[in-house]
Amino acid sequence: MPPPVPKVLVNEVSVTFESHGRSVLALDRISLQAHAGEFLCIVGPSGSGKSTLLRVVAGLLRQSAGAVRIEADRPGMPLTAMVFQEHALLPWRTVRDNVTFGLENRGVPRAERDARAREMLAMVGLTRFARHYPHQLSGGMKQRVGIARALANDPEVLLMDEPLAALDAQTRTIMQEELLRIWATLGKTVVYVTHSLEEALLLGDRIVLLTARPGRVSQVYSVDLGRPRGLEVRGSPAYGALLEKIWSQLREEVVRAMAEDRRGERA
Amino acid sequence: MRALGRWLTEHWIAVGSPLLLLVAWEWASATGLLREAFFPRPSTIAAHLRQLAADGTLWGHTAMTLIRIGWAFALAAVLGVSVGLAMGLWRQLRDGLDPVFAVIYPIPSVLFLPFVSFLVPPGEIALVVTTAVTSFFLIAFSTTQGVRQIDRLVVEAAVHYGARGWRLFATVLLPGALPLIFTGLRLGLGFALIVVVAVEIVAASRGLGALLWLSWQILKIEDMYATFFVIAFLGALLSYGLAAFRARLLPWVQDVAEP
Repeated sequence: MPPPVPKVLVNEVSVTFESHGRSVLALDRISLQAHAGEFLCIVGPSGSGKSTLLRVVAGLLRQSAGAVRIEADRPGMPLTAMVFQEHALLPWRTVRDNVTFGLENRGVPRAERDARAREMLAMVGLTRFARHYPHQLSGGMKQRVGIARALANDPEVLLMDEPLAALDAQTRTIMQEELLRIWATLGKTVVYVTHSLEEALLLGDRIVLLTARPGRVSQVYSVDLGRPRGLEVRGSPAYGALLEKIWSQLREEVVRAMAEDRRGERA
Repeated sequence: MRALGRWLTEHWIAVGSPLLLLVAWEWASATGLLREAFFPRPSTIAAHLRQLAADGTLWGHTAMTLIRIGWAFALAAVLGVSVGLAMGLWRQLRDGLDPVFAVIYPIPSVLFLPFVSFLVPPGEIALVVTTAVTSFFLIAFSTTQGVRQIDRLVVEAAVHYGARGWRLFATVLLPGALPLIFTGLRLGLGFALIVVVAVEIVAASRGLGALLWLSWQILKIEDMYATFFVIAFLGALLSYGLAAFRARLLPWVQDVAEP
């Protein structure tokens, strides 16, 4: 196996929020890397700043300290494209025009945009819905559009912020398999934030576990469960052992965060 | 025909309730329960309406009123949407104008007529400007709200996908505000009709308001009611017309079928 090529380099990133005149440390000197073509999952209890970290990588939020670098080898292409938790589609644009939105802003010619949209909508299985408006789609379909929109931009890194959290259990399971298929087809570098350990184990190559308040890197786990991976992996002993191992660590973090919350309430 | 049938099964209450009211009125006036001198039967009013239409009186006045509404609404819409968008986008402007608007807005529009007459040439232009005042405020308020209620996450996503400056305005902020802009336009159009009739009563010799008031003063009660119905009908027509236009223009808004 060739040595991994770093793609996303997060170096000593801290984020401080000002709230009610006090500054709150959300992320504390986070350092991590995502390799080219890797599916990296970020897991942590709520309040660990998972989404904040992703927003910093996306350039939507300025870090207070530290640096983020994304290795780009194709000039002119966007560094990141984000799939948002609440899909965040433009309600006044059809599915197709949502998918081509980023391309339009970059001045990509119409013919190329349309071809790209067709390709991406076929990939997420929404060809027949190109002319629909978001409000006519189910939650799962909207999230597929969000994924197609991100992929259409052909970014260096695909960022996903709990994209399946708002979906029902069955839809989520189907979408997880779809994600695996798409990722296997495109070989993109993915940074994927989730609060579900099971999801991270199913999807990820590595899992970064964050601590709560402030978010620090607690552990990094390799998910050596083989590829291609499907839902059946959940029955394997290796899966169970890894789940057990990460969960015991995560559990500690969750309990600590809850205890801190209670202390905060009393104070 | 089948479409009409289906429409009727869905809207029979909306069609039936005013009809029922008219029948009740007819009966009450015919039996003397209502004094016919003050509440003429709807059938008599209809005859007078036909007469007014046949001799051309009605059309002249209606055209006059519609022209005034047209100009006033156009003025209010252009200024209201522009000012509303600016207020939605710039907080300082909003903070500055909000208290001013809050003070001026509740003043009954007709009272602006003398004051407007000092500013612009009295007569037709003053009538139109006065008619536009309340509509302007309603449209500006709605537009400001329209910009402010846009989902922040949607704006963030649009920025993330490269929309800046003019593109952000044209592809996100303006379309995001449009549903409420349309609500403002609809209210504004309705108020333009209300105010123009009031202004015509006070300060015009032609127009539906003038016709109504004249009919009342010379006790042509049937003509007064006939004019009244024309105004009511115009109001409903304008309101539904704009709603239908909105459904066409904003197909992405949910429940556009609801007027």
